[in-house]
Amino acid sequence: MSSESVIVTPGRRLGLTQEYESGPGTYVRNGMIYSSILGTKKIEQALAETSDDSIKRPMLFVERQNTKFAIPVIGSEILGRVVRINPRAASVAIMMVDSAPCQEDFQGIVRVQDIRATEKDLVQMINSFRPGDIIRAEVISLGDQRSYFLATTKNEHGVVFAQSEAGNSMIPISWEEMQDPKTQTIEKRKCAKPVT
Amino acid sequence: MSANIFDRRRVNGPPRSVEPLYTDEGDVKPFTNGGRADGRSLDQLRPIFIKTGPLAVQPTFSPTAPSGSAYYEQGKIRISCAVYGPRQGRKSNPRMGSFDCDFQYAPFSCSWKRRPHIKGADEKEIALILEQAMAPAIRLEAYPKACIDAFVTVIESDGKFATISAAINCISAALADAGIELYDIVAACSMSLNASQWVSDCNQAEEDVSQCSLFVSRMPSADEITYLLQQGKTMPDQTDRAVQTCSNSCARVYAVLSRYLQASMEQPAS
Repeated sequence: MSSESVIVTPGRRLGLTQEYESGPGTYVRNGMIYSSILGTKKIEQALAETSDDSIKRPMLFVERQNTKFAIPVIGSEILGRVVRINPRAASVAIMMVDSAPCQEDFQGIVRVQDIRATEKDLVQMINSFRPGDIIRAEVISLGDQRSYFLATTKNEHGVVFAQSEAGNSMIPISWEEMQDPKTQTIEKRKCAKPVT
Repeated sequence: MSANIFDRRRVNGPPRSVEPLYTDEGDVKPFTNGGRADGRSLDQLRPIFIKTGPLAVQPTFSPTAPSGSAYYEQGKIRISCAVYGPRQGRKSNPRMGSFDCDFQYAPFSCSWKRRPHIKGADEKEIALILEQAMAPAIRLEAYPKACIDAFVTVIESDGKFATISAAINCISAALADAGIELYDIVAACSMSLNASQWVSDCNQAEEDVSQCSLFVSRMPSADEITYLLQQGKTMPDQTDRAVQTCSNSCARVYAVLSRYLQASMEQPAS
């Protein structure tokens, strides 16, 4: 929104909290908004339609063009590759968080009870994921010392890309089956509902 | 050097070598005729050169590429720093990220003695100092469970305290280059006491003849000192005076750092 682009360094005072909302790339100390990254200062006007009882202030944020390194937090949607499976859990190498690629893979696990929302007791790991599958999942907890805990309970979450035993990429034919278009063999997966 | 005893394990020199050019500095005694050997005034710092991103690798998302890097010169001091992360670390805290620092002198960095390749106790100590000086400036709560690593290599050293403060400035620039969320840029400056006079940014020869050396690292926007280290004996009021002068010098270093960082962002756009 601001006409000229101002480049700010970390620690630069940008404005007052009475006038602005603190956005990404900024932090608040003593009622002041400070920049926390090296980037361009931007102001985004609040949408007039959001009619809360409080007055909406324009958001002040600092944007950086080239790189943003994503780290998983609770609630973020990830894309990852299934590395190995056992009857209790599948370990996943997290490659993308929301829409930002990770520089290095983070380790996550999908426990068998987090694969789907209903009939959890009947879920079998071997009928849901296989090593090498690319899955979309949600981070439900920062997990233990080693890995993030992931869940694929939502319809949109699950296997998005998988190869059959013959090595061809398969097409989902139902929410729990995928078919190899060449050999016509059907393999079981917890498929993700395609998002348009 | 015959071909059959070619050592494959080490980097071999070129077949032809040329004698290096030695600068003739001689044995100039510091503070001999009232002033400093290099003609600086007592509170004058050595000129600073900074460059961010010297270790950047294409493509940016290769696992070996650092997320940010910086090269820093202050007089004869030359330091490079690479920052990796935020990435998954061995120790993980679900509430906060962790910051780790690694400090190493290159074997040829200290002109008065050859450094061994294996890290000594002093390097580990300096790494800890750097970690403690930088950690308050990093918004570690923004990186839960993640780990940020800084690797500092001293290519040339000139004065222990000056080198530590130069390393802090270098890490600051590299962290800002990496886009890590910071509360502020940390700027540092060193001083030595010689004949009850405080001298800013001393080189090795000057530090060697001083009774006391001290460095201060500071976050100017919050007006907070992140680290203060003194080696040697002084009166309390002398230390007070030094901290005051150092803080002023830090503000000057900070200005240089932030001016450079701003310019570095402007350049690719135009």
